[in-house]
Amino acid sequence: MGKLNQIIFVENLHKTYGHGPSATHALKGIDLTVETGEFVAIMGRSGSGKSTLLHILGLLDMPTSGGVLIEQKNVLKLTEREKAKFRLEKLGYVFQEYSLLPEMTILENVYVPAVCLSRENDYRKRASELLEIVGLGERLKHYPNQVSGGEQQRASIARALINQPKILFADEPTASLDITSASVVLELFKKLNKEMGQTIVMVTHEPDDEKYVDRVVWLKDGLVDAVTHTIQRQ
Amino acid sequence: MGNLKLALFLAYKSIFKGNRWALVLIVLVMSLSFANLLMIPSILSGVTNTLNQQQIDTLYGNVVVDPPQTEYYLNHASLIERQLKQIPGVVGVSSRLNSSAFVEYEWKEKSSQSDKGKSGTWSVIGIDPAQEVNVTTIHERIIQGSYLDSNDRDEIIIGVEIAGGDRAQTAEFLTLQGVGVGDKVRVTYPNGVQREYRVKGIFQAKEMFQADRSAFVTKAEMASVMGRTVYSDRASQILVRTGPEVSEGQVIRDINSLGIDVEVRQWSEYGGLGGLVSSFNVIAALISTIGLGVAGVVMFIVIYINVISKRRQIGILRAIGINRRIIIGAYLIQAVFYAVLGIVFGGLVFGFGIQPYFELHPLDLPLGEMSLMVETSTLNSSVLGLLAAAILAGLIPVTHITRQRIIEAIWGN
Repeated sequence: MGKLNQIIFVENLHKTYGHGPSATHALKGIDLTVETGEFVAIMGRSGSGKSTLLHILGLLDMPTSGGVLIEQKNVLKLTEREKAKFRLEKLGYVFQEYSLLPEMTILENVYVPAVCLSRENDYRKRASELLEIVGLGERLKHYPNQVSGGEQQRASIARALINQPKILFADEPTASLDITSASVVLELFKKLNKEMGQTIVMVTHEPDDEKYVDRVVWLKDGLVDAVTHTIQRQ
Repeated sequence: MGNLKLALFLAYKSIFKGNRWALVLIVLVMSLSFANLLMIPSILSGVTNTLNQQQIDTLYGNVVVDPPQTEYYLNHASLIERQLKQIPGVVGVSSRLNSSAFVEYEWKEKSSQSDKGKSGTWSVIGIDPAQEVNVTTIHERIIQGSYLDSNDRDEIIIGVEIAGGDRAQTAEFLTLQGVGVGDKVRVTYPNGVQREYRVKGIFQAKEMFQADRSAFVTKAEMASVMGRTVYSDRASQILVRTGPEVSEGQVIRDINSLGIDVEVRQWSEYGGLGGLVSSFNVIAALISTIGLGVAGVVMFIVIYINVISKRRQIGILRAIGINRRIIIGAYLIQAVFYAVLGIVFGGLVFGFGIQPYFELHPLDLPLGEMSLMVETSTLNSSVLGLLAAAILAGLIPVTHITRQRIIEAIWGN
């Protein structure tokens, strides 16, 4: 079972979509560990199972079999309600596409997950501070359709951080962005990881993203094909 | 507390910062549904109310004083009238001498005794015209000619269903087939007395079953037919009119406390509309139920489309850890808000638009002039029904969507 510094421990994880001859085996027995404070990229070709793995780690989906421990806790045994609470308190999630709620300002989008956790109204202040950190201090009152794609994604990162999560999951966060915006987002991740010790697990298919992370887990056909440690970790 | 706060916040944002046309459409549907829920029962209540009011206005007044069960007539009618007028809340008293009679028109043109000609048997009532105006509205319903005067002896006013002609609803052969003002009719009473009267007026009370099949002569004339010395101070019944806000039950109790040997009844005991009213209530309940069902389905579709269009947002909210109960709560708050807005706008349109219009321009039905009448029970059931339908219409789709897998809700896989 997982060691104390392992924040994520995955054992023999399988995921199959459908039944019978038409069944698709997305994950075929993944073993993986992530240490606290690590910045891990999950890479691989389209259909390798990287997004499926991230969905399961982020408690958005259930595996067919296998085990997942997060902070030594078997999260697969949690009820839906407990999972929601776990996601709210322990996990942050940045989606591939813009995922801000269009009816809310950037500031409101960021503090929404904190409203039901905070006993005081300090979540506005925290949200403003986070938006300053991600470089959107001037965009608090703007609506998502009034800012660029890169800015929306940075706001999503701020939202994912509002409850000070143990792990930040990012599902191809730069896929919809231009090169400049993508590098801003990735630099931000790197800054969060190095300066704040934020554990980050990011799915990406961009080979260039390797330079921002500590370790790359390569998936191929639903299995871990290779694990490479980048220079900065070594 | 935080959960409720977040649900309220999400609902507020969705309503006021979401698609304005969706908001307008939903509130419009809710308003029309609510107005529709009020409309049909109000029409039926209006018809019932019209029929009831006709009974009071044209046939019975509010309270009827009858002879004791062993007697045909009330003796010392004038004394009883004076006593009745003293009772608080009584605004009019009219004693009547009732009879039936065989009425003929153009009887001289009959070819033989057995020829029916233009004739029939109808109710003929002797009234004091001056007293009667305080109790019934027959004097206001004269459509041709004029009302009786107290001194009239050889004149009669007849209901439109006796007179016949274009305005009558009754088949021509069951009427006098077009008698007009100034024409002579021959009236043969049960005691054999035969009188010829000039038709002074024709009235249309729009109570076609009884009032418009009646004729009126003065009470003095009727007494002379029946036997002046005996009947001059007798009455078949005395009708009592009460003030608008006066309790009929209290007036009946006051009459009974006078200690006169009479039978006192509320008009509704004569009215005989109980079955009709019950039938209308059943029809109103059925139509309301169907209306509520239709409103519910329409609201369901509109809210469902609204919720479906926000499926991805719901998925994202769940993905970032918002409890599904909070999301369901937010959509329920929205549904209740839409319903309340619909009730307010629908109620305003109905209360300050449709209902006043029909009060100013009542529907002129063969039954009478009908305006809309909203009963408290109708209002309550419509409000509760619309709220319940809105809650269900909001609850079902959002519950369905929040039960989907999160990634399906977000990416529609």
